[in-house]
Amino acid sequence: MLAASVILIFISGVILFWLRPHERSWAGWLSALPPLAVTFWQVTASLPLLAGSDAAAHGDSGLLQNGTIIAEQYRWIETLGLELSFRLDGLSLLFGLVISGIGAAVALYTHYYLENDDRQGYFYLTLFSFMASMLGLVWADNLLTLFVFWEGTSVTSYLLIGYSHQSAVARGGARNAFIVTAGGGLALIAGMILLGQQSGTYTISEIVTRPGLTELDLYPAILVLILVGAFTKSAQFPFHWWLPGAMAAPTPASAYLHSATMVKAGIYLLARLHPALSGHSMWMWALLSFGGITMLVGAVTAVRHWDMKALLAYATVSQLGVLTTLLAFRSEAALLAVVVGILSHALYKGPLFLVAGIVDHATGVRDLRKLAGLRRSLPVTTWVAILAALSMAGIPPLFGFVSKEALLESFFTSAEHGALAGWIAFGAAAVAGAFFVTYSLTLIWEAFLRPSSTIEAGTPLEEGGVPVEETHVHHAPPPLFVAAPLLLVACGTVAPLALAYLDALFAPAAASIAGAPVHKHVALWHGFSPVFLISLLAIAAGVWLFLKRSLLRRTLAALPDGLRGVVVFQNILDGVYAMGQITARFSQGYTLATQAAIVFLAAFVPVAFALRQIELADILPWNDVMPGAPETILILMLVVSAYVTVRIRTSLGAIVSLGVVGVSVTLFYVFFSAPDLALTQLLIEVLTVVLLVIVFTKLPPDIRPPMRKLKQTRNVLVALAAGAFGFFLVLFNTSEAMQAAQSISGFFLSNAVPRGHGSNVVNVILVDFRAFDTMGEITVLALAALGGYALLHAPRVNLPSSLSRRREPEHAERQSVHPPVESELASTESPAKASET
Amino acid sequence: MPELYLRLLNRILTPVLLLLALFLLIRGHNLPGGGFIAGLMAASAFQLQILSRGHVIVRRTIGPYLNSSIGLGLALAVLAGITGLLDGSFFQGVWFSLSLPLLGYLKLGTPIIFDLGVFLVVVSFATSYLLGLSRVSATGERLRDDSASPVLSDDSSLDSPDLRVETGRGANS
Repeated sequence: MLAASVILIFISGVILFWLRPHERSWAGWLSALPPLAVTFWQVTASLPLLAGSDAAAHGDSGLLQNGTIIAEQYRWIETLGLELSFRLDGLSLLFGLVISGIGAAVALYTHYYLENDDRQGYFYLTLFSFMASMLGLVWADNLLTLFVFWEGTSVTSYLLIGYSHQSAVARGGARNAFIVTAGGGLALIAGMILLGQQSGTYTISEIVTRPGLTELDLYPAILVLILVGAFTKSAQFPFHWWLPGAMAAPTPASAYLHSATMVKAGIYLLARLHPALSGHSMWMWALLSFGGITMLVGAVTAVRHWDMKALLAYATVSQLGVLTTLLAFRSEAALLAVVVGILSHALYKGPLFLVAGIVDHATGVRDLRKLAGLRRSLPVTTWVAILAALSMAGIPPLFGFVSKEALLESFFTSAEHGALAGWIAFGAAAVAGAFFVTYSLTLIWEAFLRPSSTIEAGTPLEEGGVPVEETHVHHAPPPLFVAAPLLLVACGTVAPLALAYLDALFAPAAASIAGAPVHKHVALWHGFSPVFLISLLAIAAGVWLFLKRSLLRRTLAALPDGLRGVVVFQNILDGVYAMGQITARFSQGYTLATQAAIVFLAAFVPVAFALRQIELADILPWNDVMPGAPETILILMLVVSAYVTVRIRTSLGAIVSLGVVGVSVTLFYVFFSAPDLALTQLLIEVLTVVLLVIVFTKLPPDIRPPMRKLKQTRNVLVALAAGAFGFFLVLFNTSEAMQAAQSISGFFLSNAVPRGHGSNVVNVILVDFRAFDTMGEITVLALAALGGYALLHAPRVNLPSSLSRRREPEHAERQSVHPPVESELASTESPAKASET
Repeated sequence: MPELYLRLLNRILTPVLLLLALFLLIRGHNLPGGGFIAGLMAASAFQLQILSRGHVIVRRTIGPYLNSSIGLGLALAVLAGITGLLDGSFFQGVWFSLSLPLLGYLKLGTPIIFDLGVFLVVVSFATSYLLGLSRVSATGERLRDDSASPVLSDDSSLDSPDLRVETGRGANS
C-alpha cells in the first residue's frame, strides 16, 4: 500500500494535468481527494497498532512502540543490491500524515490561488510529483531508495520555485535553491555510500540497530557528508539563504514545500539516523552550533523584512534551527519536543503562508509597509492569521506554546544536569523565543490590525504614497479559498486539548528517533517552573522589541551587504564563471588545427611508447597476408587521392579527391566482406561530399596569407603521427600475440543467432550485446545535434566576426590586451562580463 | 533556382530512398542494414530534397519534428532498455514471437525497438545538421554578394600566435 500510495499521488498529478483544472470549478475538491485518501489510509492502517503501542508504553513491554507498522519490498536492480523498500513506523507516520494532510489543504487552496491561470495543471503536476517524492522519502527503508526520492524533491522544488519562469527573480531563486540542495545531495550520496559500506547494509532499519557506528574510523567523514546533505536541504546556516530566495515560488508551494514538508527532509534524515549516529560529541556539537546559529540568525533577520513571505521564510529558518538543536540531544524530552515541534510548526506556519497568499491575491500587496486594517475587509482571514501567529509566538494555550515549553524544558533539564550544551541551547532558544513573539506581533499588527499604514521614519517607501487607512481589497477571496488555512489553524488550535490522543502519535515517533521506547508525555501545563517564567520573560521581551521595532529594523538594515548569504553565493558563482572563462581561454582559445594536433599527438604517445617496448619484427605481418593485386590498386588509389587532396589548389578539387579517399576505404570493406561497414562508410562519404560542396562553394574566397612554414611543418608531422597511430594499432591487433589472446569475436559469432535472435552479427552487437555503447553513442549524437542547432542558428553565425570587429575602435584600449578571445566571449554574454561592462 | 533534372530526380528518388531506408531498417537484424545505415539513407533522401527544393521549404515541412524525434528516439531506446529490466537487467533482450495469418512467422524484440530509436536519432541528427549548414552556406553566399569581407586581416597586434582565432573557412566549417 505504501508504494501504491506514492504511485496514486503521482498519477493523480498527471490526471489533474490532463483535466485542465483551471477550467473546472470542482477541480480543487478533486485535487484534495487523493492526499485525503492517503491520510485516511495511514490513520486506519496504524490506528490499531498505535492504540496498542500506547497501552504497551504504559505497561512495561513497550515493544510495539518502536515497531514497524507496515513494511514492503520490491525488486529493483538486484545485481547492484538495490531494492525499493518502504517501511512505516512512528516517525514516518508522523511525517506521512503531515505531508498528505497539509497536501490536501494546499491542493484545495491552489485551485483558488491560481484561478484563471492556464498553467494550473502544470503546477498540480509538479506539486503532486513533489508530494509523491516526499512520501517516498519518509517511507523509504533503504538509503538509496531514500536518496532517489530526496533528489526527486530537489528537482520538483526547482520546478515549483521557477514556476513563474518569465521572472528573473523566480529563475534565480530556483537556480540557487537547486545548486545548494543538489550540491548537498552529492555530499549526501557519498555519506550514504560510506555508511552503507561500513555498516554492511543499506537498509535503514538495520543500520539504526547496528551498534558501534560512532567508533568507526570513517565516522567523522560519514557525519560531515550526511550533515552537509541535511543542512543544505533544511536551510541551516550557512546555507539558510536559499530558503528566502525560494519564496519566488507561488504561495501554495512556499507553504507546502518551503515550510511544512521539504525543508523538514533534512530534519527527518537526522532524526532517522539519530539512533545510529548521535552517540558522539561531534554529532552533538555540530548540531548544537549550526542549529543554534541558524535559530538566532533566522529569528533576528525575520524582523527586518517587509515582505510577508520573506518574514515567514526567515521564521521558518529559525524554527528549523530549533529542531536541529533539539536533535543534538539524546534525552527523551528533546526527541519528544522535536516531534511536537514538527507538527505544530506545520500547523501554524502552513496557514500563515496561505494567509499571506490570500492577502497577496486580494490586495495585490505583500509589503507590510503598504498594508493596514485588513481586519475589516478580510475578517475570517484575520482570525486565521491571529490564531496562527499567536501559536507561532508561543502564547498559551496554543499548540506553539506546547511545543515551545517542551523544547525549553528539555534544554533546561539538560542544563540542570550541568551540561554546557544545555545552557547554550537554553539561552539561544530563549532569545529566539523573544524574536518569535516580535515578528508574530509585527505580522498581525501591521497587516491586519493597525488603523493606518505608516511610513516608518527613515525608511523610504519607493512609491512615496500617503498612509492609507485600509488597504483596498479589489478581489475578495471566495470562502473555499480561506477554508484551507482555516482548517489547518483549527487543527492547531484544537491540538493542545487533544494531547492525550495525540500522544499515541508522538510517542512512537519519538521512539523511532530514540531507537527505544519513550515513556515521557507532552503536557500543556507544566506548573510554575523556572521554564515557564523564562517563557513569560521571553514574551515580555518580545513585546518590548515589537514596540521598538523601527529601531531594530534600522539597525539591521545598516548591516553590510557582504554578510548576506545570497550576495556571497553570487560572488562565488561569478568567480566560477570567471574561472571558466580563464580555463576556456587556455584550453579552447586555440585554432581548430592546434586543438586537433593536441588530441592526435596525445593518442600517438601511447603507441610510440608501446613501439619502444615491442620488437618491430613481432608485429610485422607474414608473407601470406601480403596484399594481392586488387588491394594494391586500392592502396595506390588511396595514396594518390590523399596526396591530391593536400596539394590541390581549388576547394572543389580537394573535396572530390577526399571523396575518392573515402570510397577507396569503402572498397576495402567490400573486399574484406564487411557490408554493413561499407554501406555506412559509403553513405557518410556521399553526405559529406555533397555537404562540403554546398558549403565551400558558397563561402567567400579564402584570402588568408599563405600558412607559415613552422605551422605547415607541424601539421605534416601531426598528420604523419596520426597515420602511424592507426597503422601500428592495426598491426598490434593482428599480431601473433594479440591473436593468441582470447578474442571476443568468437563469442559474438556463436551467440548472435541463438541468444541475439539475429544473423547479422554486426547489428546484433550494436543493438543487443553492446546496446549500452550504442545508447551512449546516440546520446552523444543527440547532444551534438542540439549543440549544432544552437551553433548554426546563433546570430553569430549570420554575422561572422566582421561586425564585432567593426566595433573594435570604441574599445580599442581594452580589446588590445586579448583581442580575439574578448570578441569571442563578448557574444556569450556571461554574467561576469555583463557586470563588468 | 534548382535545375530541372534535379527536381525530376528528386521526384523519383526520394520515395525510393525512403523506402530503401525502411527496408534496411527492417531487415537489419538478419542482413546488412540496421538503424544506423537506414538513418543515413533517409538523411540522404532529405539531402536530395534540400538540394532540389531549397532548405527553406524542407525546413518548413520537416524542421519542426527534428528535435522532438531525437527525443523520441532516445526515449524509445531507453524504453527498450527498461523493458529488459523487467526480465532481469537493463538492455536484456526480450523477444516475442507472433504468428500472423498473412505475414507468417514474425519475431519482435526489444532490440528491434532499440534499433528504431537509433534510426530516429541518426536521421534527425543528420538532417538537422544538413539543414543548419545549408542555411549557413546560404548566409555565406549573401555575405559574399554584399562584398563585406568577414575575414580578419592578419593583425600584428596579436601578442601570442596561439591565442589567434581562425576565421573564414575554418571557423565556419
